[in-house]
Amino acid sequence: MTDPLARRLRAVVREAGIGVALLLVVAFFALFAPGFLGETNLSNILTQVTINLILATGMTFAILIGGIDLSVGAVMALCAVVGGTVMQAPFLPPWAAVCAGIAASLAVGMVAGALNGAISALWGIPSFIVTLGMLNVARGSALEVTDARSIYDFPDAFLAFGSAHLFGLPLMFLLALGLLAFGWVVLTRTVFGRMIYAIGNNEEAVRLSGHRTLRVRVAAFTITGLCVGIAAMVYVTRLSIANPILGVGFELNAIAAVIIGGTSLSGGRGSLFGTLLGAIVIGVLGNGLVLMGMSDFSRQIVTGAVIILAVVLDSYRARLSAAG
Amino acid sequence: MDRRLFLGSCVGMGSLLLPRPLRAAPGAAGAGRPKIGLVMKSLANEFFKDMQEGAVAYAGKRGDFDLLAVGIQSETDIDGQIAAVETLVARGISGLVIAPADSRALVPPVARAMRAGIKVINIDVAFDPQALARHHVDIAFVGPDNRAGARMSGEVLAHALGQGGKVAIVEGNPGAENGAQRKLGFMDAIGAGGLTLLDSRTAHWETEEANTVFSNMLTAHPDIQGVMAANDSMALGVVKAIEASGARGRIKVVSFDNIPAIRPLLKDGEVLATVDQFGSQLAAAGLDNVLKELAGQNLTGWIRTPLKLVTGRDVA
Repeated sequence: MTDPLARRLRAVVREAGIGVALLLVVAFFALFAPGFLGETNLSNILTQVTINLILATGMTFAILIGGIDLSVGAVMALCAVVGGTVMQAPFLPPWAAVCAGIAASLAVGMVAGALNGAISALWGIPSFIVTLGMLNVARGSALEVTDARSIYDFPDAFLAFGSAHLFGLPLMFLLALGLLAFGWVVLTRTVFGRMIYAIGNNEEAVRLSGHRTLRVRVAAFTITGLCVGIAAMVYVTRLSIANPILGVGFELNAIAAVIIGGTSLSGGRGSLFGTLLGAIVIGVLGNGLVLMGMSDFSRQIVTGAVIILAVVLDSYRARLSAAG
Repeated sequence: MDRRLFLGSCVGMGSLLLPRPLRAAPGAAGAGRPKIGLVMKSLANEFFKDMQEGAVAYAGKRGDFDLLAVGIQSETDIDGQIAAVETLVARGISGLVIAPADSRALVPPVARAMRAGIKVINIDVAFDPQALARHHVDIAFVGPDNRAGARMSGEVLAHALGQGGKVAIVEGNPGAENGAQRKLGFMDAIGAGGLTLLDSRTAHWETEEANTVFSNMLTAHPDIQGVMAANDSMALGVVKAIEASGARGRIKVVSFDNIPAIRPLLKDGEVLATVDQFGSQLAAAGLDNVLKELAGQNLTGWIRTPLKLVTGRDVA
């Protein structure tokens, strides 16, 4: 158990599992879904997974530490409408308004995340229930702030980001990838990151060994919230609209990406690389099945079945790697 | 046990007998004015928000009845809406205006309310005729013809593309009656205009999903020339997908609802047409008709409310 090489090997096996699944899905669609491998289509898929990938990156932190965040969809709506409102401030020059809007969105996300983490840590309440409460607080606030109306008409300079490409890839996807890479470094190369895994494995042990777990928990959920704030701005720049009912159910897609990516729902085990693959699997399925001409209802069935299958396979891999 | 409720004396209407409400204390109805319940769908939706504000304004203008307006959590919160009806009955309403979340599930509680002597007017989405027959009630429906509206919008697209134009439909929630009616209207326009339907998929009324679903449809059918979206929120996502694919100007869009956010796109010609069903006046029209019933008229059938085709010319 303590041999670092064996541990790394097991981690590779774990991530290879979902990688193999992704390759199979891609190969299947390459054969049966006309136009799947087209350059535009691949770029479309990356655009389509971007928001979920950013949310799932944040969600990975919450799940690794042994929690969950059900509020991300609703907090995302709140971030989008607050950021959007600030961005329309008439007294600011466009560039300053854009910066202020983005800052507001990130701040709202971080505050919501910090509250989630602090409340669940201070009173020892499962984050499941705290974030369920936050879901309603955030959705209600988003409706209150906007009086249930959509916000549109943002500075052109901001909207240009949404469709920009760099090296042939969607700029927003590259941003998501950069965020994920940064998160990966934090999780694997810093003391803070190791603490997240340790708390996810056995919080009591970490506490008894003299570490303060409260701060780590608050920080982990704040990172989740930061990602939500970023995802909200990506949403607005891509669709030029911020509406208080956006993002319903987005938390479930993010959780699915994290779990398909091999991260354990009970915390302490998993990686952001898996989350990347998990998010892409979900995006590829949504895309490929439409290209094949599958009906909406069947598509829903297949997507659900694949999620279950991926987690079943993952349980086998976990047992294998524990035995080996 | 019966209690007399008077309509505003200035209107000079008659009075009617009603059973005593379950909880309201005798004489609780302010100055003998009738209480009218308004049950809507989710107030988180701009359309119902407008509708509620229109109703409040109408009640303020008339001043001869008390309005008790309630919304529900989400468009599909059927339980919540049934509970809302029962609560209003318990609060002693004499008239009820309802936009049902489900055209069948809401019939039994509404039929119970009618047996208790409450006058009911159905707005927005019509109750299922068979369900009404089964519960031996006849409720007048005050609302727009979604099918005819969608057909008007679809015909603008048919006219722009000409015979043989290739189109796709982006549908509303499967199971939503107005979504189903709008799809039928689009199909009417496709049939009448000799268009070819390449694909039809739901995006659950949602901008982001419409954006994703439509860019995938476009990959599967690169020859799409026109899109019919069942609401404006989805049209916004469709337009963004068209822009991202570089097909701006080549693919034409028509839609439904006339929300403020669609207006810049109508102006630019990115969306050819949408349909306004005057949501803010819909609840007011329902209230107007329920007051007529309380005054002794017996209304049945479909009282159509106006629809207006909105194009770039209207927003210039």
